[in-house]
Amino acid sequence: MKQYAKLFVVFCCALLLVVTGTACSKKQVKQEAPPAAAVPEESDLNAKEFVEPSNIDPALAKIFKDIYFDFDRFNLKPEAKKTLDGIAEWLKSNSSYRVLIEGHCDERGTNEYNLALGERRANSAKSYLIGLGIAEKRISTISYGEEKPQCTEHNEGCWSKNRRGHFLLARK
Amino acid sequence: MKKLLILLTLSGLMCPPACLAKVYIDISSPSSRRLPILVPKFKNTGSEPDREDIASKTPQIIADDLDFSGFFKIIEESALSSSTIDGLTSDRIKWDELAIVGAEAIITGGFSASAGMVTFELRAFDAVQGKFLIGKKYEAKREDYRLIAHRFANEVFRAFTGADGIFETKLVYVKTVGSNKELCLSDYDGGNYKQLTSYGSLSLNPAWARDGKRIAFTSYKDGNPNLYVMDIARGTTRLVSKKKGVNITPDWAPDNQRIALTLNLSNGNSEIYVLHEQSGSLERMTNDFATDVSPSWSPDGRWIAFVSDRAGSPQIYSLEVATGRVRRLTYEGSYNTSPAWSPRGDKIAYAGLMGGRYQIFITTPDGQIHQQITSKEGNNEDPAWSPDGRFLAFCSDRSGQKEIYIMRSDGSGQKKITFGKGNKAEPAWSPF
Repeated sequence: MKQYAKLFVVFCCALLLVVTGTACSKKQVKQEAPPAAAVPEESDLNAKEFVEPSNIDPALAKIFKDIYFDFDRFNLKPEAKKTLDGIAEWLKSNSSYRVLIEGHCDERGTNEYNLALGERRANSAKSYLIGLGIAEKRISTISYGEEKPQCTEHNEGCWSKNRRGHFLLARK
Repeated sequence: MKKLLILLTLSGLMCPPACLAKVYIDISSPSSRRLPILVPKFKNTGSEPDREDIASKTPQIIADDLDFSGFFKIIEESALSSSTIDGLTSDRIKWDELAIVGAEAIITGGFSASAGMVTFELRAFDAVQGKFLIGKKYEAKREDYRLIAHRFANEVFRAFTGADGIFETKLVYVKTVGSNKELCLSDYDGGNYKQLTSYGSLSLNPAWARDGKRIAFTSYKDGNPNLYVMDIARGTTRLVSKKKGVNITPDWAPDNQRIALTLNLSNGNSEIYVLHEQSGSLERMTNDFATDVSPSWSPDGRWIAFVSDRAGSPQIYSLEVATGRVRRLTYEGSYNTSPAWSPRGDKIAYAGLMGGRYQIFITTPDGQIHQQITSKEGNNEDPAWSPDGRFLAFCSDRSGQKEIYIMRSDGSGQKKITFGKGNKAEPAWSPF
């Protein structure tokens, strides 16, 4: 019964959001950011227009460094937050650029689950950047799961390099 | 152990029509005996030479089919003297000599080739009684001898078991080509291999429509991981879902009109949805703060098995479609994914991490009984059921690269069916 009650609250909130445009009660905020909309939006992503930051300026490689995650995790580690702080700063002073965050996983586990996990990793970075004041519409995400490894050996040294968020840029 | 039920319906008089067909092999019995069968080399009855060696290859495919089924034991032809089988009909077979080598069934085949076509004349006999059971005449293009072999193997399977065989079914799987992944189509045994896509992109997660004519899959060919449906015969592809984020892991509902899939809510996590293929309307199935992925319908359409990390690690759950009620099916191990609901409804296969490697498991839909099916070295993943629920395709890296294997659902008869360069993964087994 509790589950139904919860579902009902979420449903009502979504309804409220749609009808009045107001956000809903504080209760769920404690857990994690609740779904922004009940219906997923259409994608307008054209991944091909994004390029490696270093292609725009070699110096950007130092700012747009890959961020790394623990196995089966998508939370941002302190080092990753530091990198994202630098990226946010650059994006603020270069407002004509948009960023694409790629979420990647290591080869272990199922590629299906890893596609979902890669998306969460990219979304973690996106949420953090939004929190630092970057407009949501300037940030796109894409998950490649385990499909585009950086390193192909079968050991932790390699896996840890593959569990990453990678950044690309495009002009508006 | 079941004996051969030779005289079961001999009179036929007292019997309703449905039981007129004799059941030689009771395939519902868990320990049914393998029926010893001879599948000798075919005879070239025509005047054209047999350049493709149809005479050996066709019976070999039939023998491989019957052997893989687990219900037949192939008797080597070398056990016979050359005069035992002198023709295709029962009067040309020395039945007493067949009895000596233990054959209880025999297939005879003849063919004649002309102008690119081959005519086959195939028969199956009850060798204990010396009795004709079925006979078929096929005309086919020369290169279609594999199809003829599978088709006749299905006839033989039906004649001896009363059930439909899976020998004409197909597999779709994903093959690594350079840094891309393309979809491939083959017979269930790996024959007649053909690359379906050449997008130069990542194409993943293929799933057969229940009509066996279309495949839903995810591709990055237009940038975002969108969901497409391909009509195999026409070669046409239609975009069916391009929501922001992932549009992955499709599974067709038994009604063949809806597709369960995984979508991502913006800034959030992935959830299971049901997409009405024609209208494009969506129904949300899961609602929580965890990753939910990889839906698999029960054959009655009442349940969807899926993967969720809502308890901290990926585990198998099932949800009741009408109520949204969710129950957890796996508790052992820290990583259980890829649920595949058997077409018979009584089992769910999945891949689980065990001792540092992925192995295939089977559980009952209530999650009460779990059975490990594979134990070979390497990782064994991506289980997919055959349409009769007797066999599983899966992928394994035991040979050094990922290849597709097939096996009986008790783990026996494991057979590698893909070869050559490039990893192969994510097999999907067609309907009948």
